[in-house]
Amino acid sequence: MSASVSRRGFFTALSRPFQKKAVPVRAVEVTASATPATPRTAIIQGRFCIALTSFCSVCVERCPVSGAMTKDRGMPMVVADVCTGCGVCHDVCPAPRNAVLMLPRRPTTLTPQPA
Amino acid sequence: MIQRRDFNRMAALAAASAAAQARAQNAPSAAAASNDGIAWDKAPCRFCGTGCHVRVGVKNGRVVAIEGDQLAEVNKGLLCVKGYHVGLALYGKDRLTQPLLRRNGVLEPISWEEAIETISQKILATPDQFAIYGSGQWTIPEGYAANKFIKGGLGSNHIDPNARLCMASAVTGFLSVYGVDEPAGCYDDLDKCDVLIMWGNNMAEMHPVLFSRVIDRRTRGEKVTLIDIGTRRTRTTDFSDHYLEFRPHSDLAIMNGIAHLLIKKNAFDPKFVEKFCNFRQAPKDPNATPTAPLLGDAMSFDDYKAALEPYTPEHVEKLSGVPAEKIRVLADLFANKDLRITSTWCMGFNQHSRGTNANRLCHGIHLLSGHFGRPGDAPTSLTGQPSACGTAREVGTMCHFLPGGRLILNPEHRKETEKLWNVPEGRISPKIGHHTVLMWEKFCTPADKGGDIQTLWVQVTNPGQSLPNLHKLFKAKAGQPDKFLIVSDVYRTATTELADLVLPSAMWVEKNGMYGNSERRTQQWFRMVKPPGEARDDAWQMIAVARRLHDLGHPGMKDKNGRFLFTFKNDQGEEVPVWEWPRYYDLNVDKVLFEEYRLFSRYKHKDLAPYEEYVKARGLRWPVVQQQDGTWRETKFRFSEFDDPYVKKGAEIQFYHSVTKDDKALIWFAPAEKAAEEPDAEFPFWLCTGRVLEHWHTGSMTRRIPQLHAAMPHSYVEMHPEDAREHGFANGESIVVKTRRGELKLPVWIDGRGHPPRGSLFIPFFDERLMCNDITLGDVDPISKEPDYKKCAATVARATAAL
Repeated sequence: MSASVSRRGFFTALSRPFQKKAVPVRAVEVTASATPATPRTAIIQGRFCIALTSFCSVCVERCPVSGAMTKDRGMPMVVADVCTGCGVCHDVCPAPRNAVLMLPRRPTTLTPQPA
Repeated sequence: MIQRRDFNRMAALAAASAAAQARAQNAPSAAAASNDGIAWDKAPCRFCGTGCHVRVGVKNGRVVAIEGDQLAEVNKGLLCVKGYHVGLALYGKDRLTQPLLRRNGVLEPISWEEAIETISQKILATPDQFAIYGSGQWTIPEGYAANKFIKGGLGSNHIDPNARLCMASAVTGFLSVYGVDEPAGCYDDLDKCDVLIMWGNNMAEMHPVLFSRVIDRRTRGEKVTLIDIGTRRTRTTDFSDHYLEFRPHSDLAIMNGIAHLLIKKNAFDPKFVEKFCNFRQAPKDPNATPTAPLLGDAMSFDDYKAALEPYTPEHVEKLSGVPAEKIRVLADLFANKDLRITSTWCMGFNQHSRGTNANRLCHGIHLLSGHFGRPGDAPTSLTGQPSACGTAREVGTMCHFLPGGRLILNPEHRKETEKLWNVPEGRISPKIGHHTVLMWEKFCTPADKGGDIQTLWVQVTNPGQSLPNLHKLFKAKAGQPDKFLIVSDVYRTATTELADLVLPSAMWVEKNGMYGNSERRTQQWFRMVKPPGEARDDAWQMIAVARRLHDLGHPGMKDKNGRFLFTFKNDQGEEVPVWEWPRYYDLNVDKVLFEEYRLFSRYKHKDLAPYEEYVKARGLRWPVVQQQDGTWRETKFRFSEFDDPYVKKGAEIQFYHSVTKDDKALIWFAPAEKAAEEPDAEFPFWLCTGRVLEHWHTGSMTRRIPQLHAAMPHSYVEMHPEDAREHGFANGESIVVKTRRGELKLPVWIDGRGHPPRGSLFIPFFDERLMCNDITLGDVDPISKEPDYKKCAATVARATAAL
């Protein structure tokens, strides 16, 4: 990312291809809630997340597991080691394209290790 | 080299303006349709006062897609969470689709003819006891039609909008400082300022797209200092460099403290003050004339200085709880002329029982320090509703206004309005109508006890939830069969609960419309889909009733020449009976009403362009003035010579509607005072109410949008963790909040989205199952008559324990 592209501009640029396709007006997808059969973890897909433009933090607010989600300069982050994969964040995400992806838990951690 | 994407965009732009051009002349067009069969058109968002534009995608007669409009200057393609889902507001399962009349306590379907007849008979029975309660969500033509109907037709001024609950104090602030309403600056100030001071203004939550515009500057490497002055920590605080937490109601003390220091240190701008300002204070005799409280008495600079003498930083600290050091920091910022300072405020100042004074003082410190009139140097109020400025303030759908900033009390203004409406002289009543709170009080009071409003017609708003102190101002209507409540809305609401007649309305892109946003930007859109069932436009409803009254012989429905008040002719010069619903869209009624209204806009230099200009644009900021070459130019910075065409050459800054007629603005002194109800031993907490990001006001639309409802399903009370611990409340536990007016049971949210200080509570008002206005006080500002929703005394208890 070049220095002249701002965070907001960057975000707009990222979301543009998806906006070009019609953002469907449809009912909210509810898929999670029940305890999953296979262990899962949540991933925030930054390009769909509206935290930076709309100051949304619903997933962090509603996460029932203490310490499983944090905010970094407004952006929600999942702490994969703590996340139980309950999927509440996915259910409550109000972004036009759900920004929370539920993935099968891998044996190794998905969060980047501090350098 | 033109890139492919740019080329496509330009092609799309050309196609869109060609389409708009064609449709302005009422020719059908399919140019905006894309490959996938979705036809796209522009519209301002239905929700807040920011005024973002969306592109609306329509397929098979349904809104199927929404995206941010890249061509819109306000939002540049971005939207907030409400905006992304605005299309779903049309498609709640329980849209009202037929008129309903209450018979034996039950709302039963009736025909439109019966409904129009019922209203007409009610008005005829007691014409002077009929009132209209409108909205800052009315479109400009809707508000104009209602205003003309009641003031120019019925000769009564009992019309007021919900903007009285929202913007009235900003209006009295602007009027008493500049002699003319609405901000001088615009959103461009947010791009230019070095310091942004948000006074009781949670911009991240209420105007998120605007706030992202500011935050974005930081990521571009620009330095902008954000100062949040509030009574609770919010998500705006998270992004702010300074957070000043003050004791509720003491914001006036802080502003006086700044003015005190500016003068004490000789750090104000004497040149600016001498050239452009006079001083003002509350009148000795507020009853001397009706406008005395608004315009006040002159005071000398020395008197002003003396009045500020007590507001030392230490004294202000005692009053407000803000450390003296921080007051000094603020004063130092204002003392620095090299900085550009923008102040924004919204309901914190306005819903304040000293709201007018709070507005005045904020303008005052900007004027005193000369932080005015350069891009980035502006005191700017933000509005809550999409057309509070456009419809309520500019069209003047208030009980004391006439269109274009004219006043009921001014005989000249009445005469001009009568002339423009072509009605006989004397048609407009010289008596101010009832303002919102009084209107509802009178409606809820039995006729034999002085309740002089019998029939009340509500359009595009939900007072059954949004009025303060609901038991007194709304619910008392129950059990009074002679009081008749008419409600035009799109869904059942708390207001339709007590309605005697419910009319199903068309909403947003189901009708043509125009809005005016916070920064004086007038916006236009076309009807894109048909309303469901028998739902019809609000303006049609008003015109149909006017026509029925005309046919029943009401003399007021005719102009001087005996013609119906709402006579519309098509291009061939033939009259179109638009009061017959199938004929309503035979011509563009919005355009005709707007072109008529436009003539009113010049008097206060709020010039509006012809309708077609708005068809082409993503909104234009008034005054929009025609150039030599025939094009129309908007104005970004009012009163500044470099941008405002109405400022005299060489004047630099000219307040050309000055109260004192000398092109100067007024710097007011107003004392810091106590709130009407402060916490005491019995009710030890402050209670504040407000909004949340996900819901639009009373939630009648957004609570029907699944994504928004899932994101914020329930109201709550925010509380400090220490207070909760002391009371033994666990997070999420149901508790009772009680005031002198009632009680409310709701879950407590500790360390939630907002963080109130100790001894303070916050409840959002969107949830119709948990109406916080059952317990608010709503004491009104004596000048603006706007109620205070932000302060009253409350206590809390376990839900199970007896209170």
